[in-house]
Amino acid sequence: MGRARPLLESALAILVGLIAGGLLMLPFRYDPLRAYQALFQGAFGTTHDILETLAFATPLMLTALTFAVGVRAGLFNIGAEGQMYVGAISAVFAASLLPLPPGIHIAVATLAGMIGGALWSLVPALLKIWRGVHEVISTIMFNWIAFHLVTYLAIYYLAEPGRAERTRPALPTARYPVLAEGSTLTAVIFVAVLFCLAVYFFLWGTRFGYELRLVGENPEAARYAGVRIGQALLRSFLIGGLAAGLAGASQIIGRPPAWSLYATLGNVVTLGFDGIGVALVGRNHPLGGILAAILFGALQHGGRFMEYHAGVVSELVRAVNGLIVITLSIPELWAMLRRRLAR
Amino acid sequence: MEPFIEMRGIHKVYPDGTVALRGVDFRLYRGEIVGLLGENGAGKTTLMKILSGLLPPTQGEIRLEGRSVRFRNPSDALRAGIGMVHQIFTLVPPYTALENILLGQEGSALWLRKEQARPRVERLLEEVGLSIPLDVPVELLPIGVQQRVEILKVLYRGTRVLILDEPTSALTPLEVDELFKFMRRLKEDGRSIVFITHKLREVLEICDRIVVLRNGLVTGEVQADKATPELLAERMVGHAVVPRVSRSPRPPGEPILVVRDLEVMGDLGVPAVRGVSFEVRAGEIFGIAGVEGNGQSELAQALGGLRPIRRGEILLDGKPLPPLAPIEAYRQGISHIPEDRLRFGLALHFDVAENSILSRQWEALFLRGWGRLDWPRILAFAAELVQRFQVLTPGVRATARHLSGGNQQKLVVGRELSKEPRLILAVHPTRGLDVASTAYIRELLIRMRDQGKAVLLISADLDEILELSDRIAVMYEGKFLGVGPAEAFSRTEIGMLMGGILPQEQR
Repeated sequence: MGRARPLLESALAILVGLIAGGLLMLPFRYDPLRAYQALFQGAFGTTHDILETLAFATPLMLTALTFAVGVRAGLFNIGAEGQMYVGAISAVFAASLLPLPPGIHIAVATLAGMIGGALWSLVPALLKIWRGVHEVISTIMFNWIAFHLVTYLAIYYLAEPGRAERTRPALPTARYPVLAEGSTLTAVIFVAVLFCLAVYFFLWGTRFGYELRLVGENPEAARYAGVRIGQALLRSFLIGGLAAGLAGASQIIGRPPAWSLYATLGNVVTLGFDGIGVALVGRNHPLGGILAAILFGALQHGGRFMEYHAGVVSELVRAVNGLIVITLSIPELWAMLRRRLAR
Repeated sequence: MEPFIEMRGIHKVYPDGTVALRGVDFRLYRGEIVGLLGENGAGKTTLMKILSGLLPPTQGEIRLEGRSVRFRNPSDALRAGIGMVHQIFTLVPPYTALENILLGQEGSALWLRKEQARPRVERLLEEVGLSIPLDVPVELLPIGVQQRVEILKVLYRGTRVLILDEPTSALTPLEVDELFKFMRRLKEDGRSIVFITHKLREVLEICDRIVVLRNGLVTGEVQADKATPELLAERMVGHAVVPRVSRSPRPPGEPILVVRDLEVMGDLGVPAVRGVSFEVRAGEIFGIAGVEGNGQSELAQALGGLRPIRRGEILLDGKPLPPLAPIEAYRQGISHIPEDRLRFGLALHFDVAENSILSRQWEALFLRGWGRLDWPRILAFAAELVQRFQVLTPGVRATARHLSGGNQQKLVVGRELSKEPRLILAVHPTRGLDVASTAYIRELLIRMRDQGKAVLLISADLDEILELSDRIAVMYEGKFLGVGPAEAFSRTEIGMLMGGILPQEQR
């Protein structure tokens, strides 16, 4: 019984969220059924739409993983945003400046992004482990430091000559292949899904994953079991950093048409924070995160069609989406709260 | 004279079914100090929590100056002049004494009231003859002073009845003297004090009257000048004869665990274990009795590698045990049944299989290459454990939270005994369990002993110690007050040792 329950709860939450969103539309005299039909059609109606939905989902499943693997270790790591910026700029550097043969170049640029993200998570991790600095404080500060640092690098060192509004684009050798003509979905989604699967296997299939989860469930039992708590926390931060870094890189070397970072960071900004919501909807599970990310992608891509076809103004579309997301997060938020109170 | 407070026929049943009080009558007169004496779980604290409004009684009546009253919360009781100082301090560490005293009072913002209230607090200090620094964060003050802040916090509300729950447990002897001086002064002012304790000497020294509780009932009520340690100890521990569990007679083997001159710090920054030496031999159960909070937890944690040691050494099979290395302790053959299964022994949201390898997750037995968990083997092991130790569970994939307390404990005990240990460290192994589980776990410990293992049993349950142990030590204020074969002690003697009275004083 225990395993299916989160799925059931989330399914119920989707239903409640849709109804709540529909109620919100009523006073403005929109037809919720038509709006939702447009949303669904828009998100999944054609192969092209499905691919776009998945393109939106790709970075989100990764930043959700950052948050989820933190929660599994008892952390509230909200540093995905900053780690994702650093991952993106690292990928820009490797993809646009290093002349490497095809194949190897993609791998190097991907790894550069991941390592950049992981390095950015290292300082908050060590502050937590050595000095007990709460990760919410340190990661928020590091998000801002990353924002300004990456903006600076993008404008002063990596800007495309003559087009200062963005960085140099990734060289063709560093670009993930587009999966269908005219689509913005690239093969980077396979890397993202593979990474989620790997983390899932790590958490439930290895000793260190077991220890990481034990630290999150009951730190004193972890100590009793001989777990080195600092090491477990470090692993959680670093895995989260790798995931966020990959999310950032995926928007540079795996997302047409830009293949570069905008100087405003406009093509990546909030992907890290959105991941928190995705993680909650996905019950802080690496595989649940994939499903939740697709749902978020559908809301983002399909939401546009609510505007075209059902005439719903875009502000209200966003309000309805927000309401659905909040409703969906409630089961996991509630579970997290209960565990905290139970201590 | 009419009592100031009278509690009549107080019963208390906790929601989980535990019966804490079974019809207690208690009176308190103006200007007296009453000692409330008893073992762990006797009901002392529960009775006083009811008087101070923290818990509602299941049945029974409280009368204040002859009038029946009902306290719905501690504020009601405080308004009636009754305040309790708990064992665990409730101060906000970075706040000053003045801020802590004012905290929780109704009125405007704390920083606005602070200076208005200062003269009143200073007057109170003078009145009760205390001096404490008002403007220093309390976390920087010694424990004894923190406790005074805690008491002042209650007195500031105009308290006429002060309840002190084990106030001397963390204090140095000098601080205890000062506390007693202060208590006498309050008494001269006409205030009444209830002094909850298990320490016989202290209760005889400071109290006018002593009420002994045992198992939720009053078993004795005497004027302090007519009381003797023997009488009190006997009332405290009863004189039931515990049937000793049948066991194969065997001479104890070589020493497995040797502890020399061990000193361990407690959480409050004072030594909790103060120079303890003992050995546990193969094929014996060595029982450490004592009222909780006398250093047993810290001793067990030091042995299990969970707490640093300050001095002394621990040898297992002649090899020193490295400090703070639980896995090393397990590897050398220690099995640790921890004192609190929910705090240390289990992860409630993990399933039975995951819990069955908790503290064994590093063993090669459960791993494949690259640190992967060998799930088929873990599941088989868990299934075997569940069967062998009679753990009632829907399956090895059921969450530990869904098991009853007894079955959770059987899972922990089974896991620990399955390690093929040299030494079993069992701390309160049957606490809170039903009769059947208790009997089963005790039987397992005896079986281990009969197989020639060394068993170190730490328990606050005197019956358990008497039933199982081959040799007994009584721990009091971090030291052993008497070590010897189980037959050498009478129940009353152990009771007196638990209350801090040494054998030579007993004569």
